[in-house]
Amino acid sequence: MTHALVLLGVVALAALRIWFRRRSRGARGRGAPWRRSGSSGQSGARFRPAGPRDVFERAIGDVGLVAAREIRERTRGRTFRFGTVLILAAVAAAIVIPVVRSTKPGAERIGVVGTLPASLRSAVVAAGASVHTRVTLAPEPDLTAAKRDLRAGAIALVIVDARTIVTAKAVTSSDTSAGAALERTIANAVSLHLAFEAAGITAAQAAALARSTPARVTSLAPAPTHSAARPTSLYGLILLFILLQQYGTWTLMGVLEEKASRVVEVLLATVRPVQLLAGKVLGIGIVALAQAGLVVAFALVLAKAVGSDLLTGAAPVELLSELLWLLLGYAFYCWVYAATGSMAERQDQLQSLTFPLSIPIILGYVTALVAASSGNASTFFKVLAYLPPTAPFAMPVLVGLGGVTWWEFVASVLLSVAATVAMARLAAGVYRRAILRTGRRVALREVFSKART
Amino acid sequence: MGVSLLELTGLTRRFGSVVALDGLSFSVPAGEVVGFLGPNGAGKTTTMRAIFDLVDLDSGTVAWDGHPITAADRRRFGYMPEERGLYPSMLVGEQLEYLGKLHGMGAASAAAAAAQWLERLGVGERATSRVDALSHGNQQRVQLAAALVHSPEVLVLDEPLAGLDPTAIDAIGQVLVDQAAAGCCVLLSSHQLDLVEDLCEAVTIIDHGRLVASGRVDDLAASGRRRLVVRVEGDRTAAWASGRPGVSVSEVSGGAARLVLDDGVDSQDLLRAAMAAGSVTEFAFGRRRLSEVFREALA
Repeated sequence: MTHALVLLGVVALAALRIWFRRRSRGARGRGAPWRRSGSSGQSGARFRPAGPRDVFERAIGDVGLVAAREIRERTRGRTFRFGTVLILAAVAAAIVIPVVRSTKPGAERIGVVGTLPASLRSAVVAAGASVHTRVTLAPEPDLTAAKRDLRAGAIALVIVDARTIVTAKAVTSSDTSAGAALERTIANAVSLHLAFEAAGITAAQAAALARSTPARVTSLAPAPTHSAARPTSLYGLILLFILLQQYGTWTLMGVLEEKASRVVEVLLATVRPVQLLAGKVLGIGIVALAQAGLVVAFALVLAKAVGSDLLTGAAPVELLSELLWLLLGYAFYCWVYAATGSMAERQDQLQSLTFPLSIPIILGYVTALVAASSGNASTFFKVLAYLPPTAPFAMPVLVGLGGVTWWEFVASVLLSVAATVAMARLAAGVYRRAILRTGRRVALREVFSKART
Repeated sequence: MGVSLLELTGLTRRFGSVVALDGLSFSVPAGEVVGFLGPNGAGKTTTMRAIFDLVDLDSGTVAWDGHPITAADRRRFGYMPEERGLYPSMLVGEQLEYLGKLHGMGAASAAAAAAQWLERLGVGERATSRVDALSHGNQQRVQLAAALVHSPEVLVLDEPLAGLDPTAIDAIGQVLVDQAAAGCCVLLSSHQLDLVEDLCEAVTIIDHGRLVASGRVDDLAASGRRRLVVRVEGDRTAAWASGRPGVSVSEVSGGAARLVLDDGVDSQDLLRAAMAAGSVTEFAFGRRRLSEVFREALA
């Protein structure tokens, strides 16, 4: 119940924030009416001392200006805010629901016909607790009344004369439900009680026996210590896949929007192509990192709050490495998407353009999913963890499986950074050639043959 | 030193087998509105793009104020491309403010200048609209404001008057004349030759990427062969004049024929011939029109 309230609170808070933002956009000043801090505007083009925002934007020059616009426009959209809330809600569901389901202290009533010795009574209650069920005992006048209650569902099962057990429905050996588990442990407790009685041991001895625990088992093969991290691996991977594609598409669409609306010609009259491209990639990157960081922070805090086992073992390290690799993956792919966007002419070419780009992403994603769910990494998969296009998926999973040393991780990061630099240079060349070509889709061959001159 | 000068020298650009610019040279002095004319495909847009380094020239240079043009110079230029372009979903005012900042203005002064230009161009009340909510004409005004927001030293406008109603043309024309008077260097391309004739002090005419004529509008109008405007009632096709040696009919409008006379032609002979054809109600020497300059330059 409390968890549902927490979730509801988060969603309500996000909705409120969006509402307030939209309201404050409505409040406009005079002179330059689109500005929130309405400057007077009657003085014409008189230069004023730069404010703190100017200083920030000037600090990284035109790239900063372009990036700042990108951030502003990107976060303003309703789709972005709604999408963020949706992701947070999905993450919350993935964290809260398993916790709620697993730790829900089930309560069952158990009918008792005849007498139940005190030692068996406590054994039955303990048996219930061992399967997360709080057991209350309900005395029944006779078997007929007990059967009636059983059929009505008022009680889970009946212990008759401390010897036999009656249930409403037969339970198969493969049934793993909570009810079946309860029935098995109670049946066990009753039979043990009978065995103790037959052996003629005292109540104190019986209690000592009941406290026995399973012997420690040591295996010759090392135990899969990171098995607890697997749900994190899977959820993290899915999120990584969705976000990486989303951010790549943002970049592509952003470039395409500027080309299709022809505003790029106005911009390029003052800004160099590489500045425009870098500003766009940086702006979207900042928004992407902020969104992904928010999601990860939210997941960590929520998991901590509700005591999810998502945080056990290597999970937090894996989550953080997923965030790092999301950043690295974006840095690598954004250039590819941007260059592709500059070669397109219309939005309807989007599908055919993005498909080839998504092949390495899907390859990395699928192999990583397989490795994460099977718990072991093939040699092929280990190779993928060092290739920049697939490393964003493979490397975090490898971290989760405990299959990498720190220097292997760093080597993969460095490879990815180097590939990103090369990709950025290539993309800037393509972008510069293609962005002002209109009328038809630009062929790759044209761009590359010219890019060398 | 004298007025600043935008100088284009030997611009050459080939697209495959097509020659877009073929050693084109001309200059635009500050303080004047210069019309940039030429038939479709003559290379006007390529030339204008070359000023902003938006095409890779095979050869040629663009100089401003006596030195090869730099990125810092271009920051103080304003450009209105042939294909209009603004962010469709951005608010008009924000968009202009952003462009002002890209041209090196502070946020506050960019905002003030944007508001001022929108007001001046008659779209002040649309500052908080999205660009794509504006009519074509208003988008064009905003596009001009985008070229003007940073008070540029050079204005390069590709077809700024196309598709506008007469009121808008008057308003924008006045803005351009005022900018030139304030010392700005204004180069505008257009196919509306009558408008160019009214607006521009000088014109440059190109064809197939080459300069074919250039000069002050007044000088061009006064030069060339003599023009004679003759109206003969009842003869709307100037049939009486056709076939006379040394005389060609340049155009006939509203019943009046514009005749182009070779040097040896005696106007009195022509008057007698006209009177023989009918009642002559108009007989006057005229100046060369820009449309005639244009047509004759391309002939």
